[in-house]
Amino acid sequence: MGSARACVSIIDDDALVLRSLDRLLQARGFEVHTYSSPQAFLEQRDADTPGCIVMDLSMPGLSGLELQQALARAADRRPVVFISGRSSIEATVRAMKAGAVDFLTKPFDEADLVAAVRAALDKDRASREGLAELASINLRLATLTPREREVLSRVVAGKLNKQIAAELGTAEKTVKVHRARMMRKMQFDSLAELVRAWTVSQPLPPAPPQA
Amino acid sequence: MDSLPASSASASAGLTPWGTRSGPVAGWAAPALAVAVGYYLAARVGFAFTLQPYPISTLWPPNALLLAALLLAPTRAWWWVLAAALPAHLLVELQSGVPVAMVLGWYATNCSEALLGAGLVRAFVAWPLRLDSLRSAGIFLFSGAFVAPIVSSFLDAALVSLVGWGERGYWDLVGTRIFSNTLAALTVAPLILTWAAIDVSRLRAARLVRYAEAAALFMGLLATCMLVFDLPQLDTHTAPALFYAPLPFLVWAALRFGPAGTTSAIAVMVVATIFGTVNGLGPFAGSTPQETALEMQLFLSAVAVPMLLLAVVLDERARVELDAREQRLQLTHLSRVAMLGELSGGIAHELNQPLTAILSNAQAAQHLVGNKSADPEILVEILRDIIAADQRAGEVIRRLRTLFKRGETQFQPLDANELVHEVLSIVHGDLVTRSVEVVPELAAALPKVQGDRVELEQVMLNLVMNACDAMAGLPPEQRRIRVRTRAVDVEGGAVQVSFGDCGPGFTPEQYAKLFEPFYTTKPRGLGLGLSISRAIIRAHHGRLWGSSTPGAGAAFHFVLPALRAKRG
Repeated sequence: MGSARACVSIIDDDALVLRSLDRLLQARGFEVHTYSSPQAFLEQRDADTPGCIVMDLSMPGLSGLELQQALARAADRRPVVFISGRSSIEATVRAMKAGAVDFLTKPFDEADLVAAVRAALDKDRASREGLAELASINLRLATLTPREREVLSRVVAGKLNKQIAAELGTAEKTVKVHRARMMRKMQFDSLAELVRAWTVSQPLPPAPPQA
Repeated sequence: MDSLPASSASASAGLTPWGTRSGPVAGWAAPALAVAVGYYLAARVGFAFTLQPYPISTLWPPNALLLAALLLAPTRAWWWVLAAALPAHLLVELQSGVPVAMVLGWYATNCSEALLGAGLVRAFVAWPLRLDSLRSAGIFLFSGAFVAPIVSSFLDAALVSLVGWGERGYWDLVGTRIFSNTLAALTVAPLILTWAAIDVSRLRAARLVRYAEAAALFMGLLATCMLVFDLPQLDTHTAPALFYAPLPFLVWAALRFGPAGTTSAIAVMVVATIFGTVNGLGPFAGSTPQETALEMQLFLSAVAVPMLLLAVVLDERARVELDAREQRLQLTHLSRVAMLGELSGGIAHELNQPLTAILSNAQAAQHLVGNKSADPEILVEILRDIIAADQRAGEVIRRLRTLFKRGETQFQPLDANELVHEVLSIVHGDLVTRSVEVVPELAAALPKVQGDRVELEQVMLNLVMNACDAMAGLPPEQRRIRVRTRAVDVEGGAVQVSFGDCGPGFTPEQYAKLFEPFYTTKPRGLGLGLSISRAIIRAHHGRLWGSSTPGAGAAFHFVLPALRAKRG
């Protein structure tokens, strides 16, 4: 994880535009891959490579919005920066709602493009790091015995050893042993760390219905 | 009466420069001088065309000249015209030893004829009078060449009898005056009126061939008239058919040179005929000089009236056709501009692409130049791409400019496939943003067609956009237009171009209305596209029609006759 260099994937059906963006982003020090059509990108993409996607909104065959949806279905979470020669409010809203990082209208300034690409790459890095942490917590959780899990769930609920022992019908001393072993397996030194990891690993409650 | 319709203000460019209401006297001096000189010369001509030994003038042009001058002048300037004629009248008449009372009386009757004719005309036709419609020509002939000469001839003859000058009887005088005045009003006045209406700039712009044709016409006419009217008559019998010998030339003038050409041709014939008759030559020889003059005057009047009317009618019709043509051009252009307006979003896209490429390439180059380790090859490539992008943007602008331009139709040999490519590149941006795919099926080695590039592209644009609109309700992946060109074997070869969509199609009832102007199924459409397209294709001697399987799409096709390849 993190060893592969972040890569900007550019998709544009216009060869002249594609080459110019390739050169510009390379000159600014980015690793760039170019694709001349959404289909080519879908065939060659590698979702595991960290990075972001810069693509034209209107392309023959598959529009940018459709590609965005296809990627979401394929659980490719790389952030998308849209570039468009003709931006309708409707298309912009749809793109942003579907999670686009930015929406640039052609012709755009280099600074805007670079800022959008940086933001997209940061977002990708953050989400990949979050995912990695979650995976490691889950890995550690899996090493716990059922009894250690029971202790853990009560510890993070803020219960004292004495209360836990009463609930589990064992001696307080035994609970102390389980707790120490659990903390070692989870590789945490403080209760605070444990609580945070626990919160991250739990699935989010369903979003409250929008007013 | 002086109120001048806005439309005739520009049309009066060829008229004599009657000054504005506030204009200086100098602005009126030149026309007044022209009237005086013209009147004097016209009177000399009138005297020259007198049958000797009796003082019977066969043609009396001064009155007709006054009539024309009044008709050309605004009513408020009429006093100037009449006043300008007085010195000329006195100068020319007093030389001939006529009593002063008679001279002044004639001045009064001459003026009264012109005033009566011009007043009647002005009561019906606003200033300036132009012999450009059957109505105005009819009113002119009735008032100026019929009523006015007759009425004033009675006055004139009465005056002569009153003064007691000459020994001829009253009715005798009336008869000669009527016909010489009428003939002059019929020939001289229209000659002046039509020449005054000529646009000098157009005359200058005319090609040499036209001048050559005019010269041939007038030489031929003059020669014929001299043969028929100016040769000594060896035997007393003249074939009546000979009288008609000049007619073809007059018809030629009416067909090709308009009213001014026709009045000039009539003038040539009148002068040649009178010249012969006055000198005792030609076929007109009555038992008395009066009879001779009358025969000739009747003949010339009978020829002049229908020829003048023919020229006016032909001119009017040509102008109406020109107006209709101009309107069609205007409407075609308007609908083209409206269509380009609809396309503007796609066109912006087409321009933004190269602009983006140019900007990004240039900015990349900026960084590469700063970075010494960069490969110079890349800079060369960047410059090449910038040039290509710039040329592409220029091409978009060029296409647009051509379509926006409002020009005359220009027929030239065209390749239908090339037109299709051009149209598809114009709508490319629009097609992409509307997720419409185009499937071209273009026949190789297509014969050329004869046509106007812009108008044919307009038809294709219209059909492509209709096809796009028809598929707006379809899911994007189903929006597909098939563009087909092929050579078809009808009527000696033709080229067919078809645009097929996958939309809902149309029913026969809808089809019946499709080509009607202002019928539209689009919320923002004008409903002119198809009717104009059909008119354009018709003007190209082709045919435009639609076909549809309801539910499975519609197709519109047009055929244009193929240009025959030149055989070496």
